Amino acid sequence: MTLILIAMILALLIPIYEACKDEDIWQKMLALASIATKTAMMSLFISVLRDDWMIGVVAVIILSVGNAGLMLLAHVIRRMHEA
Amino acid sequence: MTDALTSAAPVDIYTYFIVALLPLSACMLIFQVNPYHALVLRGILGAIAALVYAVLGAADVALTEALMGTMLAITLYAVAVRSSLVLRLGVINQLADRPGDQPLEPLLAELRTIFGRRHHLRLELVPYPDRAALHQGLMAKEVHVTCVVPSLELAQDSSASPASLPVSAQITYQTTTRLKYLYEIMQAELSTAKTQLSYLDIAKEVQS
Repeated sequence: MTLILIAMILALLIPIYEACKDEDIWQKMLALASIATKTAMMSLFISVLRDDWMIGVVAVIILSVGNAGLMLLAHVIRRMHEA
Repeated sequence: MTDALTSAAPVDIYTYFIVALLPLSACMLIFQVNPYHALVLRGILGAIAALVYAVLGAADVALTEALMGTMLAITLYAVAVRSSLVLRLGVINQLADRPGDQPLEPLLAELRTIFGRRHHLRLELVPYPDRAALHQGLMAKEVHVTCVVPSLELAQDSSASPASLPVSAQITYQTTTRLKYLYEIMQAELSTAKTQLSYLDIAKEVQS
């Protein structure tokens, strides 16, 4: 199980590198969406691993709310590029 | 009390890897210069911080970080950055909405390159009916920079003295700013062949 989690952490490093390197803001937004979803999925996996329902509920809320925040930010950036 | 401390579960090896992601993303955020890119990186930092808090067992802190720290802070900062990082350019109305031929377009493109790409400012056009209103707007601090095209005005206005025509025909744009640092940036980076730059000190102007 630890090996699966370490593989997930390594997969998380890919969008972090992408966000660090790429200059285009939409590529950064894609990396943010990827990281937000991946971290929530890791929290869910850990909650199952530890049989801890409290972390699981928090992970589900983060998974849904993270996407709402992403949409708000994308809207503001799109309006800025149009102006 | 001592029993509770010593009987805590041993820290798993993956926890160290997850916690190590936090300073990594924080360094990325610190070394970012573009404010909009920094907002996106703040979202990444918030997502990783929420994961770290959840892994360390603080589910309530993780929820607060995700809801308040990431979503609300990013939204408020996006509004603040968008409304403060703006350069207002006052132009005369006829120049702005003339269909087809846009005399201001080359200067606007150059200003967008200088301020948009290098200094992360947004360019906002503020139209004024005539030159007096434009000057009034600059004095009232409604705009930061004003721009007029003297040759076009002379072509429209027949009462202008013909002696000044050859001089102003060479200068395509006449740009006035009331902010010293904007003047310094434009003086250093704008190609000044077609643009006449001037700095207007409002405090001195009001005294005289």
